[in-house]
Amino acid sequence: MLRSFFLFLFLAFASVTSRAQEIEVCKTCEVKTIQAAVDMAEDGDILRIKSGTYKEHDISIIDKSLTIIGEDFPVIDAEMKGTALSIRAENFSIEGLKIINVGRSHTNDFAGILVSNSKNFEVKNNRLDQVFFGILLERASEGIVSGNIITSDAKSQSTSGNGVHIWKSEKITVKNNEVIGLRDGIYLEFVNNSEIIDNLCKDNLRYGLHFMFSDHDLYKGNIFENNGAGVAVMYSKFIDMQDNQFRKNWGSASYGLLLKEINDSELKNNIFEDNTIAISADNTNRINYIENDFRNNGYAIRIRGAVYDNNFKRNNFLYNSFDVAYTGRLNNNKFSNNYWSGYSGYDLDKDGVGDVPFRPVTLFSYLVNKTPEAIVLLRSTFIDLLDFSEKVSPIFTPADLMDDQPQMKRISW
Amino acid sequence: MKKIIYLFLLGLLTACSNEPQPIDYGNDNCDFCEMTIVSKAYAAQAVSEKGKQYKYDAIECMVNDQLQHNYDMPINLVANFEQPGTMINVKNAGFVINDSIKSPMGGNLAAFKKESDVVNKESEDIFNWQELKTIFLENDSLTTSY
Repeated sequence: MLRSFFLFLFLAFASVTSRAQEIEVCKTCEVKTIQAAVDMAEDGDILRIKSGTYKEHDISIIDKSLTIIGEDFPVIDAEMKGTALSIRAENFSIEGLKIINVGRSHTNDFAGILVSNSKNFEVKNNRLDQVFFGILLERASEGIVSGNIITSDAKSQSTSGNGVHIWKSEKITVKNNEVIGLRDGIYLEFVNNSEIIDNLCKDNLRYGLHFMFSDHDLYKGNIFENNGAGVAVMYSKFIDMQDNQFRKNWGSASYGLLLKEINDSELKNNIFEDNTIAISADNTNRINYIENDFRNNGYAIRIRGAVYDNNFKRNNFLYNSFDVAYTGRLNNNKFSNNYWSGYSGYDLDKDGVGDVPFRPVTLFSYLVNKTPEAIVLLRSTFIDLLDFSEKVSPIFTPADLMDDQPQMKRISW
Repeated sequence: MKKIIYLFLLGLLTACSNEPQPIDYGNDNCDFCEMTIVSKAYAAQAVSEKGKQYKYDAIECMVNDQLQHNYDMPINLVANFEQPGTMINVKNAGFVINDSIKSPMGGNLAAFKKESDVVNKESEDIFNWQELKTIFLENDSLTTSY
């Protein structure tokens, strides 16, 4: 009886130790390469990678739940040959690695970290530099990508990849990452029920954040600065956009936010500052724009064709060259209770609401829409005169496009 | 004097040529979806009879644009997937639709030279330009999979 009890203890102990086995990898350790450590590891093991440079690529982890921890950012140098690390597993985490020199290709999506057909994982606090694609998720779910810093030089390369690229996945959280100098900072294609929170996307070649065919997603608290365009939301629905900052997206065809074929979404408490076009909307239906700030943009909002049931409420339009540019008819879009810095009306009954409506679309913006070259006349007296006469009797601009209740004071939210 | 005038006229004529202009990757925007054109393996371009240039980030964008607006362009070029950066005329191209091809607008579509091994493999997913247009017309949507 006693013997069998000891045997039980021994077995229990053995199973515990084997479950939490730790493998150290370093140049002077028994295990010298990460691939070797992966090959000998069992489910549940911890791989502790000491600092140093590991010239390895196409390290692959298949069906093993591992915890990989880098100490003092060990460098995985893929030497421009393919993907650095690829994983297909459940319940794993990768932390504290530095991955550099990922291979480039026109037809293969080489990545720093490739996660495919995986579930329940965490990729956190890694640094990726000189990568093609940074972190690439395919058919993944319930994953967290957080605290990673991804940098590259997409602008000077003939081919470029995205920082965090997610494809056909769901329930992914992308949080606190910095993505600088890639093609798209964060790219989502067929990604549902996911959250993009508190990221910084800067100096990317194309978009800071890019949605394609993705529904029921939230992005919140992100900063998009100096990208080709800030954010593009295309062919998606039920997207929640809150507390983001869109800044310094300058260029002849540059946008803070490009909305194309998007439905049933909301923009709230975002700040648009110093963009050529803060928002360009094309084929957007049932969108609420509530309490956003538009400061010093070329155009605050440019509405293109087929835009229905968009509500603009309690926004601040501050010192934009054009507040609203419009093509076509009003189409059930509403502007109400906004603050317009260009409003020159009065408030005799002192209720905080201007007594005459504000017309945000000027004749000049209509003209510029038709003939872009006319922009050279901006701020000329002649144009002021034109705009004034149009304001008095609207002929070219939609007569019913106005804010009936323009606020006298800037709205604080 | 006459010679100079002829030369001048010649200059005028060549200035109005209908030659396709190369795509400026990273700067040119797609004429259909407005995305910046970055992928050399999937881009497409067309030139109208009057010489107007149309550039697209994906072949599916060119097809959709032409179908929606009823354009019929004299010159249609698509990127050669096997030699990214080079363009081939659609008449000499075979089109492959396959899930493994991640074209920018979700069409899973790429173009190959007709002589290419890929096109000559027996498969149901290879089409010529006319067949491709028919497929898009039948699906009547942006992508084949959406």
